[in-house]
Amino acid sequence: MSKTALVVDDSPTMRQMVALTLTNAGFDVLQAEDGKDAVNKVTGGPKMDIVVTDLNMPEMDGISLIKELRKMASFKFTPILMLTTESAAEKKQAGKEAGATGWIVKPFNPEVLLKIIAKVLPA
Amino acid sequence: MSDDFSQFQDAFFEEAGDHLAVVEEGLLALEQHPEDLDLLNKIFRSAHSIKGTSGMFGFNAVAQFTHKMETLLDLLRNGQKVVTPQVADLLLKSTDCLKTLVDAAKTGSPVDDETVQRLTIELATASALGGQPPAQAASGSKQASSPLTPSLIPEPLHHYTIAWTPPDWLFQRGLDPLQIFKELANLGTLSQVAVDTTKLPELAAMDQEKCYLSWSMRLETVKDRKAVDAVFEFVREDSVLVIEECEALSVKREASESGQEREASESGTKHASRFTNDASRETSGMDGEPKPLGELLVESGAVSRETLDKALSQQKRVGEILIEQHAVTPQQVEQALQKQKQQESVAQSKKTDTASIRVDTDKIDKLINLVGELVITQSMLSDLGARFEMSQISVLLERMAQLERNTREIQERVMSIRMLPIGTAFSRFPRLVRDLSAKAGKKIQLVLAGEETELDKTVIESIGDPLTHLVRNSADHGLEPPEERLDNNKPELGTIRLNAFHEGGNICITVEDDGRGLNRDKILAKAIKQGLITENEKLSDDQIWPLIFKPGFSTAEKVTDVSGRGVGMDVVKRNIEGLGGTVKIKTALGKGTIFTLKLPLTLAIIEGMTVRVGKDTYIVPLLSILESIQPKAGAIKTVVGKGELINVRSTYLPMMRLYDVFSLQPEYTDPTKAILLILETEGERVAVMVDEILGQQQVVIKSMEQNFRKVAGVAGATILGDGTVGFILDVRGLLEIARQGAPVAA
Repeated sequence: MSKTALVVDDSPTMRQMVALTLTNAGFDVLQAEDGKDAVNKVTGGPKMDIVVTDLNMPEMDGISLIKELRKMASFKFTPILMLTTESAAEKKQAGKEAGATGWIVKPFNPEVLLKIIAKVLPA
Repeated sequence: MSDDFSQFQDAFFEEAGDHLAVVEEGLLALEQHPEDLDLLNKIFRSAHSIKGTSGMFGFNAVAQFTHKMETLLDLLRNGQKVVTPQVADLLLKSTDCLKTLVDAAKTGSPVDDETVQRLTIELATASALGGQPPAQAASGSKQASSPLTPSLIPEPLHHYTIAWTPPDWLFQRGLDPLQIFKELANLGTLSQVAVDTTKLPELAAMDQEKCYLSWSMRLETVKDRKAVDAVFEFVREDSVLVIEECEALSVKREASESGQEREASESGTKHASRFTNDASRETSGMDGEPKPLGELLVESGAVSRETLDKALSQQKRVGEILIEQHAVTPQQVEQALQKQKQQESVAQSKKTDTASIRVDTDKIDKLINLVGELVITQSMLSDLGARFEMSQISVLLERMAQLERNTREIQERVMSIRMLPIGTAFSRFPRLVRDLSAKAGKKIQLVLAGEETELDKTVIESIGDPLTHLVRNSADHGLEPPEERLDNNKPELGTIRLNAFHEGGNICITVEDDGRGLNRDKILAKAIKQGLITENEKLSDDQIWPLIFKPGFSTAEKVTDVSGRGVGMDVVKRNIEGLGGTVKIKTALGKGTIFTLKLPLTLAIIEGMTVRVGKDTYIVPLLSILESIQPKAGAIKTVVGKGELINVRSTYLPMMRLYDVFSLQPEYTDPTKAILLILETEGERVAVMVDEILGQQQVVIKSMEQNFRKVAGVAGATILGDGTVGFILDVRGLLEIARQGAPVAA
């Protein structure tokens, strides 16, 4: 069975890039355009093997999304990667405190994305 | 990058365009409300998105520049910097610059490197905290991005001992120690892995979501310390991690306990390098994929990056080399380059022509609904047709009416897909007016109305430039300087009003100012001086105002960089007429001027007059018809070499018999029995003889080139109510034919 991934980003281009990369790598991808949309889509819905989320988003930002997901039983131990361009340590720290597994620094190419996912996703 | 990704490039440019608009609008609004945090956040998010996606597509120039803007925006929204007019201005200028960078990425258009450089420095200066000089800030970031200790010589086998005590919340962040061991094992040979369970509490006291374990292990690998560090990237800062390098089995404690401290403090700076480094470069190094020679030399420390960049910039173009070898002359190269440029610009313009359109999903959903209804109607009709009896005629008529309704609605919906609110064309004006008012030292407010009025996308794209010119004209010539306004009992603040609204099948756009109005005497004097009219001509106001649309006409006493060179107003008129529209002027001295642009809603449909020649029907674009007359005998003269001329109120116009042009059998060959249409285009007039005027109707233009081939004198074809094909006359083409005096074989 193929793995499932949730991709959350308000920029359609970015989201679709990530989604396409994951689809090509054999994932079933669920897309959401912000934190709120993501929470709506996974509440009572499918369990995800990995979550990739942007941080700066309208409605609900990435940090709040991670906190929300960690409260849900099905996402308690799911690897969550945050997309970030911030080199600011506090953003990363906030993400970690919220429960983010790791981070991917934008810009990145598809290989880097898959490499980092492989790093945190149990086989 | 694979083809799969190139399909997103167009989407990226569209999105970047949207974000740029948000940034610009936001910045303009920010000038009024410097304290608005929501606004700042919105601007920041858009800039952030541009940076992220552009980097993704390898548009590094865009990404780097946006990064600088973003840094400043971040400081502003964090309150570490205050939004001053200077800062807002700098950001606006930077937005312009960013636009050119995005355009450059899209079409390869040139970029003013100097401006980019200057703004980059200005942004860095503005972002520097506590008056830190920009040079220092720049060099600081450079240091961080240069590799720490690069080495290229194949590494000998390293032996590491690793002791790792993860934080107890390891699992709660979705991290799995097993993943780390797997990754370490991928680097080389992992051995002597031992788990320390001493901290494991009694079963009853154990929190199953916490990690109480720590590990020690040995790793043999050719990879360097950085690769090992990278494995622990997400946990290092929160773990107790000791990585020691040892020589074979005899432990050389080069990294002692104090080394651990150093490691900890170093990790901070290493992170900085990771964030600013190009991520792809880093990984390709890990994979051992081939790199360009220059990159390898830089990494081995043989040359610095600056030296490399300099060397690369000195690489000569093929043209320069050929000139040096005297194989070609500089002129030949120049010509070839010009040609290349032309071809490029042609390719580019084609590219922009085929741009995509964004459609509200709502519109598409409704369309799909309607198509569904159409399918139902169709199946009902075919059902009826299969076993039709005369008694069912009323049902048939009802169904036909339904079909007609469906068709009409679908037609309207499909047309509306190409319709966009004109606000997209208006959105550039707040900025333009702001800049103009600053430049001209006038106080100007811009009032926009009717932004939601929808019209054809092609029309919207084409009216931008004419509108810009009219607005510039109003700001520069129309509105008076503040002192003059006060002297004339007018408010100091001048107003330019843009309005769009529907009127019949047309859209009207007005550009209105409350300035000094057109000066009749000045225009007349200038027109006489330029020989456009003679001194004795008696002209009504309505005949005088259009004179300003003549090429080379300008009454401005001095030429500013905004307007006044006399180019432009004629272009405005030509552009609008090219779209099948008209420009009208209404003005009152001392009170203001209104320019009214009247445009067709779409270019695919024209208002036409149907005329008959023999048995054939032709359509004449209504806009080009001045009048129709029935000439008197003797009004027509034949001039050798010029064909027939007709005297219309003592002006001689060339006359064409349409049946001659298209080799038809007419009903009348005597002009006094037939009808003459006086057509005008671009100021030239021609009389065209037809048998009869049938009526007026909207027709959908079908291309001749696509379905047949180009025919001189015919602009296109259309399908008439009875199903036959009618040709739409090309007035421009008819004038050409009249000039050559040769009929074409149809």
